Amino acid sequence: MSQQFSFLRDTRHLQAVALGLVVLGSGLIAARSHLIPKSFGEHGPYRGDALREIAAQQPVLTSDTSCLKCHDSVHEERAESPHKDVACLHCHGNGHEHMAQAEKAAADPGLTIEKAKPWDGDFFTRLDLFITKDRATCLSCHEKVVGMPADFRSIDVKSHLADQGAENIDSPDVCFECHTGHSPGI
Amino acid sequence: MNKSHDSAGASGCGSRPATTGLNILNQGTPCSGGGSCGGVSCGGEQRSNADSRRQFLSRATSMVFGSFALTLLPMESPETTAETPLPAPLNGGAVPAQPVASAAKPVLYGFLVDTEKCIGSGKCLSACRTENHVPDGYSRTWVERYIHFKDGTVQVDLVPETGYHESTLPIVDAALVDKAYFVPKLCNQCVDAPCNQVCPVHASFTSPEGVELIDTDHCIGCGYCVQACPYGMRYINPETNSADKCTWCYHRITKNEEPACVEACPVGARVFGRLDDPESELSKRLGATRTQVLKEHLGTHPKLQYIGLSKEVV
Repeated sequence: MSQQFSFLRDTRHLQAVALGLVVLGSGLIAARSHLIPKSFGEHGPYRGDALREIAAQQPVLTSDTSCLKCHDSVHEERAESPHKDVACLHCHGNGHEHMAQAEKAAADPGLTIEKAKPWDGDFFTRLDLFITKDRATCLSCHEKVVGMPADFRSIDVKSHLADQGAENIDSPDVCFECHTGHSPGI
Repeated sequence: MNKSHDSAGASGCGSRPATTGLNILNQGTPCSGGGSCGGVSCGGEQRSNADSRRQFLSRATSMVFGSFALTLLPMESPETTAETPLPAPLNGGAVPAQPVASAAKPVLYGFLVDTEKCIGSGKCLSACRTENHVPDGYSRTWVERYIHFKDGTVQVDLVPETGYHESTLPIVDAALVDKAYFVPKLCNQCVDAPCNQVCPVHASFTSPEGVELIDTDHCIGCGYCVQACPYGMRYINPETNSADKCTWCYHRITKNEEPACVEACPVGARVFGRLDDPESELSKRLGATRTQVLKEHLGTHPKLQYIGLSKEVV
């Protein structure tokens, strides 16, 4: 009889092993729920919050529709122009801060909007908004470079200025003697 | 018998194996004899053996066929589970938070680059840098210029961020050039993106709209994805110590704005739009033209498509 139930002698060891397994298992489950982010697996095998965080970033560059809300005359000026698809920010910079100021001024008429600064002609000066009457702006697109499509209006500056009989060849605003930015009239 | 045994034993050791063999036989007979008398127990053991064998076989067969049957079940990938809305109790009874599209049918974005229109003004490059706060010395997008000379050689250079005006690049003699064109490069947003597959911490993921994104909080900066991208689009951002890449301006496109580089292109060489909307400019352009993708042989299935590539462009 005693031999038949002799395995019961070992139950204390079995109990210890079972307890150990339960503690280990619950510890692993606790660690897992702590380490895996709550939104993990919401849309797929990644943190769902990451998607919302990226989508919530605020755009920096302004689009034309924002500019034309106030400067609607420019839209008419450009209607027939070859520059009608050229966005404002190409020649005037970003205008992000300018927009923020304009929105504040719309709510409070006492506020004044800061005037745009003149540009120094350096593409790495990242001014928010600038007035440009600089040949560098025009030539950033229109200077003839190997690789440009044949149907794009590109010029060799020196020969173009000589052909047109321009006087102040070295002046930064030499282009604007004949052309305007919004409607260059080619 | 014993006598003969003894004599045999005395005569030579050659007979010894025979004796042992006989002994074994003799030992064997009582057992078989016992089998006949204690037949109940012995036979019962045999039957139970046979039963367990039958049980084992039937279980094994059902397990094998069962596992085969399991493979016939429809496979559920993370993408498909993302599309099917969770039942309310599983989702905590809350309305699923969808950043962009409805849960049923997500928006699909596409991108088309027309190399026949690009003038190499570099405006897209500075726009991207401003929009995405890309540190100096790194780029999410760039424009390559391919020059095919008349002697058969091909030269590739990078368009400066300021455009070619007053650039320090050597001026190319147009008389020696056969053809030349610009190729803007940006993230291909592959359907089977190798960069996504290798991420060891699930920090690289595909949004429901099919845009490859990076969870900068979880990225450990191991750089495996940087190695994996066959287009060289990824880099480790030294400011965040995390992998970084072009996201097609996910934060803009989800607000119905165009990516910064598209916004900044003065000639419309970059076209962005929705693939699932047949009325979008992109769908119309794609329907009207023949397009190519980069490194098609790698099977990454890029969503970025090109017009006017030459075989030299990689």
